[in-house]
Amino acid sequence: MSTTLADRLAVLRDEVLETVEHGDGEPPGAEVFDAMVRAVASHGETIPGLDLALHDAIARRLAWGDREEAVLASTEAVFQRLLKASQRAFRDPVEEMLVAELAAEVACGAARIVALAAVGRAGRERAARLREELAQRRLKDALAQQREDLARLEKA
Amino acid sequence: VTSLALRVHGATHTGNVREGNEDAHVLDRELGLYAVLDGMGGAMGGDVASAKARDVIHAYVKSKRQAMAPRDLMAAAIGAASAAVFEEAKSRRDRKGMGTTVVACLLVDERRAVIAHVGDSRAYLLREGRLQQLTRDHTIVAELLEKGAISPEDAAHSAYKSVLSRNLGNKPEARPDVVEIALQAGDRLLLCSDGLYGYASGEAVLHLLGGGEGPEQVTRDLIEAALRGGGGDNVTTIVLEVGRAAVPRATQVIRSTGAVSWWARRPLFLQAARDAGLAQSAICAVLSPEEAIEIVAGNLCEAVFHDLEQTTGINVWTYAENLAHGWFDQGGDYEVLRELVDILRGASMAVIADIRAGGDSLAIMLEIAVTRALIVAEVAIGNVLAERLRAIEAELVRATPAIAPPPPPAGTAALASSSTGLAASASGSMPQMSAEGAQQTFVEQRTIPYMQAVRIDPPSPAVARCLEEARARAIAAIGADDRAGRREVADCIERAHRAALAPTGPSDAVLAARELYGVRALEESGMAPLLDALDQARMAHVRAVRELDAGIEEKVTAMRRVSTAHQRMVGAVTALVIESGGPITARLQEATERTAGLRAEVGRNEARLAELERRAAAARAARPQIGAEP
Repeated sequence: MSTTLADRLAVLRDEVLETVEHGDGEPPGAEVFDAMVRAVASHGETIPGLDLALHDAIARRLAWGDREEAVLASTEAVFQRLLKASQRAFRDPVEEMLVAELAAEVACGAARIVALAAVGRAGRERAARLREELAQRRLKDALAQQREDLARLEKA
Repeated sequence: VTSLALRVHGATHTGNVREGNEDAHVLDRELGLYAVLDGMGGAMGGDVASAKARDVIHAYVKSKRQAMAPRDLMAAAIGAASAAVFEEAKSRRDRKGMGTTVVACLLVDERRAVIAHVGDSRAYLLREGRLQQLTRDHTIVAELLEKGAISPEDAAHSAYKSVLSRNLGNKPEARPDVVEIALQAGDRLLLCSDGLYGYASGEAVLHLLGGGEGPEQVTRDLIEAALRGGGGDNVTTIVLEVGRAAVPRATQVIRSTGAVSWWARRPLFLQAARDAGLAQSAICAVLSPEEAIEIVAGNLCEAVFHDLEQTTGINVWTYAENLAHGWFDQGGDYEVLRELVDILRGASMAVIADIRAGGDSLAIMLEIAVTRALIVAEVAIGNVLAERLRAIEAELVRATPAIAPPPPPAGTAALASSSTGLAASASGSMPQMSAEGAQQTFVEQRTIPYMQAVRIDPPSPAVARCLEEARARAIAAIGADDRAGRREVADCIERAHRAALAPTGPSDAVLAARELYGVRALEESGMAPLLDALDQARMAHVRAVRELDAGIEEKVTAMRRVSTAHQRMVGAVTALVIESGGPITARLQEATERTAGLRAEVGRNEARLAELERRAAAARAARPQIGAEP
């Protein structure tokens, strides 16, 4: 049943991701939708938890320069559209309930990944700022020495 | 929907400095319209501007109340008022330049209110002990700050911090910000002019508004706090209380018998402080032992008494602030101050124990009130410490060469104030403001832009019952012990439940996220507990819905609502995390640019040095050698 449901969910991909609007490019939020399909497919067979493929995909998006806000926005959009699409497409209320539950799990997981990425970035930026400040201190010392040398040479 | 009673009171005061009152206000219970206006222009007719705008807004709302949607109505009323003030100013030379701010609240029904504002008059919402500013000041400094063009320190000291970027009257059209909020029982709304928040601290406002007094008393106390803080401007406040009072009758008991019981045990308090060795503290080194007891312990005892009597924390706050300033000015350590506060806490507990031993049922309430007072003292000391750290940082910044502030990163719209966030999310649609400028402001300063507007209708009674049962089951499932983690999970469930019930969609999820986020370190250790709690809450909540003994249709609807509520709450928390990282990025960029500047300067100097060295060498070569052949 789960596999069938996952297949039927995968059919909604174009509608949920608004694929038409994005032409050949990978539509934003595709990784979240794929994770939702995986969650439905593996429901009952694994312990729900962090989907490493989703983690990887989000990390890749961030590494390629997508902003955290953009990732979060697409997650939100995919979740909302999937809920609407499943309400229309699924006749069995039990299936619809399962999709809503798992979609929320994936969307919350994706948000958590983004939050932790933002926290990590903040930590890296704090450290980088410290390094900059240390460099500034060394440069200021060098500048002071240069000013002394300049004064001496100009006097000579 | 249960009917919520409403209590409202408003008052205005000229203040200690001004000769006339240029503020105006509207209190129309029948119409549900409340507004505070702060006129500007002094001799040029600030009072005329505020009175004119007040009359126009009132008349406009009265005439079109039934004909227009509330948000459009408020925007249009403010627009009409601006046009009227502009015309008035144009018609008389001596009134040129007059204008007014406005913050207005229209109660749509017992559960919804529309807040509209222009200028720096503010609206606050007190919900469950948290004070939230619903409006964003339209001042030049605030706008520069939000765009990242100036730092918060510069903003605080800017000479232009009161210069408005928007007001009613300088142009025929207005650009109001309009927010729609969902009301809950126990909520308190405060509308005020800058004469209040400019002279009374945020803590004082929070304490007075949340102190449990009725709106009439709170209004009086707020004005008194502003006057005590200097009263340099006209001050006007309106307090609206929705439903039950925020704090039960216990407050009244504390104010009367509690304060008296406390004061009656002053000698016991002093003795306990003496026994605990207060006089030996390094802070009291310059005082005789009796002076130390009388001044340090006696003053705290008196401050606690006054705070109990007035249900505020102002006196203890002031006491602790003075103590900390005095000690830190001498170069004293925090550790010593901490020990002194512990001694005073011990003395307070001795008094409470004495009251309890007398079989007085008041003891528990008094213990809570006194503990709160001591927490206020610690917060005040922490505040002084933070202030000093900020001053040191500012000094360091001043000591380094000035650089131009970095431009805001391209394409990164500032994640802005909570008020805009509420505007975006609570409305259920993009703000429909008449003025083009207002729409533009929203786009520039959107907050949580990905929180898409979704209007959720109120649930049917059957679904509401399901949601209620799921909430109860989920909380029961996580256990009843009072460990902090459990409490946080239960809190998340409660808030998600309310968001799932909310008829206005995402407003509650966003507000809940802000409240849950509170003040946290932007580190994994600060964020992980909240994210874990949200995760556990979602799992427990959806499991409870799944296991409900109800019709399948109701269960599906409940699941959809609960899932959406949790997803939005987690999304909003993540947005806040991202938002909190903004200043860190800006500071790094600033530091990088400064380093690049220094590096360039070193390079230039290096070139100059090489040039001088070369010239010196040439000069040396050209100089005749001593003892050389001619």
